[in-house]
Amino acid sequence: MDQSVAIHETLEREENCKIVSFVLESICPLMYCRIFIYTHRRMAITADDVSLEDIVPISLDFAFVCVLPIVGHDVRIRVSYQEEELELRLPFGSHSRLFLSEVNRAWSGRSAQLSLYKIWTKILLKPMQNSFNLHLPLNSSRGQGISSREERGDLVRSSSHRPSNKAQILAMPQFGLRDNLIRCELLKNEDLYTYLEEFRYFFLGTYNVNGQTPKESLCPWLRCTHNPPDMYCVGFQELDLSKEAFFFNDTPRELEWTKAVSEALHPDAKYALVKLIRLVGIMLTFYVKKEHAEFISDVEAESVGTGIMGRMGNKGAVAIRFRFHNSDICVVNSHLAAHIEEFERRNQDFKDICSRLQFRQFDPTQPQLTIMKHDVILWIGDLNYRISDLDVDNVKELISKKDFETLYNYDQLKRQIDEEAVFVGFVEGEIDFQPTYKYDTGSDKWDTSEKCRVPAWCDRILWRGKNIKQQHYQSHMALKTSDHKPVSSLLVTGVKRVNSEAYKKTFEEIVRNIDKMENECIPSVTLAKQEFHFRDVKYMQHQAETLNIFNDGQVPCQFEFIQKPNELTYCKPWLTANPHKGFIAQDGSVDIELEVFVNRSTASDLNSGKDQIEDILVLHLEHGKDYFISMSGNYLPSCFGTSIHSLCHMREPIQDMPPETLRELVKMSPTENAANPEKPLDIPKELWMMVDHLFRNAIKQEDIFQQPGLKSEFADIRDCLDTGIPDSLPGSNHSVAEALLLFLDALPEPVVPFSLYQQCLESCSNASQCEKVISMLPQCHQNVFNYLSAFLRELLKNSASNRLDVNILATIFASLLLKSPMKQDFSEKRKTQEFFQHFLTEAGH
Amino acid sequence: MAKQYDVLFRLLLLGDSGVGKTCLLCRFTDNEFHPSHISTIGVDFKMKTLLIDGIKVRIQIWDTAGQERYQTITKQYYRRAQGIFLVYDITSERSFQHIMKWASDVDEYAPDKVQKILVGNKSDEVDKRQVATEQGVKLAKAYGMDFFETSAFTNQNITETFTRLAEQVLAANKKDLDLLRVSVNDEINLAALEEDEGLCDNAGGDQGKSCWC
Repeated sequence: MDQSVAIHETLEREENCKIVSFVLESICPLMYCRIFIYTHRRMAITADDVSLEDIVPISLDFAFVCVLPIVGHDVRIRVSYQEEELELRLPFGSHSRLFLSEVNRAWSGRSAQLSLYKIWTKILLKPMQNSFNLHLPLNSSRGQGISSREERGDLVRSSSHRPSNKAQILAMPQFGLRDNLIRCELLKNEDLYTYLEEFRYFFLGTYNVNGQTPKESLCPWLRCTHNPPDMYCVGFQELDLSKEAFFFNDTPRELEWTKAVSEALHPDAKYALVKLIRLVGIMLTFYVKKEHAEFISDVEAESVGTGIMGRMGNKGAVAIRFRFHNSDICVVNSHLAAHIEEFERRNQDFKDICSRLQFRQFDPTQPQLTIMKHDVILWIGDLNYRISDLDVDNVKELISKKDFETLYNYDQLKRQIDEEAVFVGFVEGEIDFQPTYKYDTGSDKWDTSEKCRVPAWCDRILWRGKNIKQQHYQSHMALKTSDHKPVSSLLVTGVKRVNSEAYKKTFEEIVRNIDKMENECIPSVTLAKQEFHFRDVKYMQHQAETLNIFNDGQVPCQFEFIQKPNELTYCKPWLTANPHKGFIAQDGSVDIELEVFVNRSTASDLNSGKDQIEDILVLHLEHGKDYFISMSGNYLPSCFGTSIHSLCHMREPIQDMPPETLRELVKMSPTENAANPEKPLDIPKELWMMVDHLFRNAIKQEDIFQQPGLKSEFADIRDCLDTGIPDSLPGSNHSVAEALLLFLDALPEPVVPFSLYQQCLESCSNASQCEKVISMLPQCHQNVFNYLSAFLRELLKNSASNRLDVNILATIFASLLLKSPMKQDFSEKRKTQEFFQHFLTEAGH
Repeated sequence: MAKQYDVLFRLLLLGDSGVGKTCLLCRFTDNEFHPSHISTIGVDFKMKTLLIDGIKVRIQIWDTAGQERYQTITKQYYRRAQGIFLVYDITSERSFQHIMKWASDVDEYAPDKVQKILVGNKSDEVDKRQVATEQGVKLAKAYGMDFFETSAFTNQNITETFTRLAEQVLAANKKDLDLLRVSVNDEINLAALEEDEGLCDNAGGDQGKSCWC
């Protein structure tokens, strides 16, 4: 908050300081990140002091520029979002750097998020009937101007609901969105494809062995059932009380006791040891009848110490989770804090175990699983709850009367459960056996030591879950190795089984719905027109058509005209689409101008018929479809952009020439004369018409070649030249003069061909050399050159009226007659002018 | 339950304009049929998820413009397909004749490993039939393809055809997938993998823009 003060000082009295929250909300990978902007008038102490001013989604139309990234200075960034711009000043420092890098990250990652988020919001919104509208930020780019402002208002308002909806989303892992959607839906519809059957017998046993080695067979304990159980979950406590076991968690007892268990399992079935886990002296083994092994999956084991310092393994729990058919089952063996007065400590241990013991999931993107998330929880162990408020004699008397019911009322665990202080939701069967603690080792005699402990039901078995019935719950007095007696219970548990047919059907239904949503969310537009025809396209005459694109999809979309294979640009050079890429909000539309303009660089191929007014544009939507847009049209050939050589072979106006002739003329080499016997013209008749017109009408025209003509008049002159052989040309002198310049400029091969350009430069200082070069020109080019030079010299004779001089004319015409095949630099330009000046002075002629 | 993973394939519908490519796609993905013919001018696609041998196979089906004048452009999409439907109309001898041309284009432009299937659509229009089933069978045999006569109108053989091609593509890529299966537990995007390869041999890399992964 101190940063706000610093910024505040730089502001005028009326100005508000805007703090940019450094927490960039990335609530869900599929939503845009957003910047929350808060305002406050004074030092913000409580939440009432700040108000949420605006939320800027870092969406596709978000942009930001870092203005002044100088060390030690405030960082100024300019944020633009839709039509709005915002300048933020951030204090120099790591906070700001962090913020910027977060924004950057969110910004660069934003486009990838487009395709699926809509689906996401739909799913999330379905079960929640609240008024808030999660997908507002996503659609907020819809519409323009005022409406966007309104929606932003909604955004701000909706933000107050965020805590609740954040929790919903945060629970979702980042990746495998589709998988998760399917998983969630499957879970929700579990009833449709699972049925409860297969009641299975779970044998549970717990035994605090007081650090002893197995000295006697465990058969009386583990073989107490008539039929072989389906599963064995056997837990031990105080397996080893040595320092080595405590500090190094290493003990030979593990193997010894496991062996003892294995040997004592029911002989009428074969069992597989699925998992074993031990934390110091707390050990849990899990056996399954062979025939069920294939239905056991996702087995994980974890442990949590709650002993010394709340961490060590002298107390705590071990747990094994697994999936049996479609039920998730968790077995916990715990050894809770000792001593009669420590029952609250035991309650705390239970809570710690529940919160700290977490299983990692097979899918690393899934959140860790806690004990309470399981369908069935079986909890065994030396829970260490004692009998209180009764002295030892009373206890022993009740025991001798087998009045366990009365005694049970003094049991701490019972009392704590009744108070809902521990084991909430757990069930324990009726205790019909005498306390299992504390005996003199090797006997059935109560503790005769000095401490003379009050007997207690330390060793217990509880469960939580539906469809569980207890078959027996008993202690086993025959075993005398320890100061505890082992306890066992047989639980008949209903297991959810999957009906694979129904599962498949449910799965397919879910997938179908997701597919459907996904297909609906593929960006889509409608085009008002997909074929465009441009009639009578002429040289230098602009034509345009409007392509309207309407976003009829369910998501905003990004469009772009893309290249076709083997083409460098998305369209022919005489065509442009404006804009050629952009963004359309949902239900929004964009008008694209398709413009045809034939200039000197494209005219030549169109004149000769090598190119046509024909093209197909590919309009691509990001993450979506491609649309083809056809362009067609006819081009009216023009003398502008046609070679001197071709024009010399045309006695008729170019538009009266058959297209084949035009094509053939181009193929002809400049030196070769057409197969047709007719002698070519000395110079193009169009050139003659323009020059002659000027000679007759404009020889004294002031500022001739210096003033621009009129566009419309140029069009008339062009049409005139291309369609007929008139006696005079329309338009003003200036327009005709400009037409002449345009004509020279548009020649595909300049009057001085590219091949001779270099030679011209080299001989520019020598008049006779220059003449020599000109004599090397193809005949028709030479004629044009000489004809033009002669005309210009005539003009110069009238320089008093037309105010021309050699310099001006050389500058204008050299650049048209002598063109460089590459880019021309200034010195070259000077040389071309020097070259041409020789032909403008009378001397040589 | 065994870990599921996703595979993404790209399948392409090819054939003359009017043989019913768009209708096949709509029937398959949305179970809808629209009898009026609106030419696809461009390239459209839809997604569908199938469960094949316990593997979730997501297929992206591309529907292309059949008109001849667009073919130079649509050919660029072949390269990115793992499977191709060659579709003709049993009431149009001409569309059947053209299968040869479509097939040779596929040979030229599609990846070598591409799987093909021959589809004679509009099998419900018995009265107008011009191409006998045997002709289709024979042609398919000559090309070593599977063959189905379908009707988007009556929904005959639609799922079968699409599933068969998807199965073939899956089988053809099985080796690669098994290798990947060991190490990858996220979605295996075969299409994207091949896309990357494609970009390497196409220095321009412009195709990246027009891809959908």
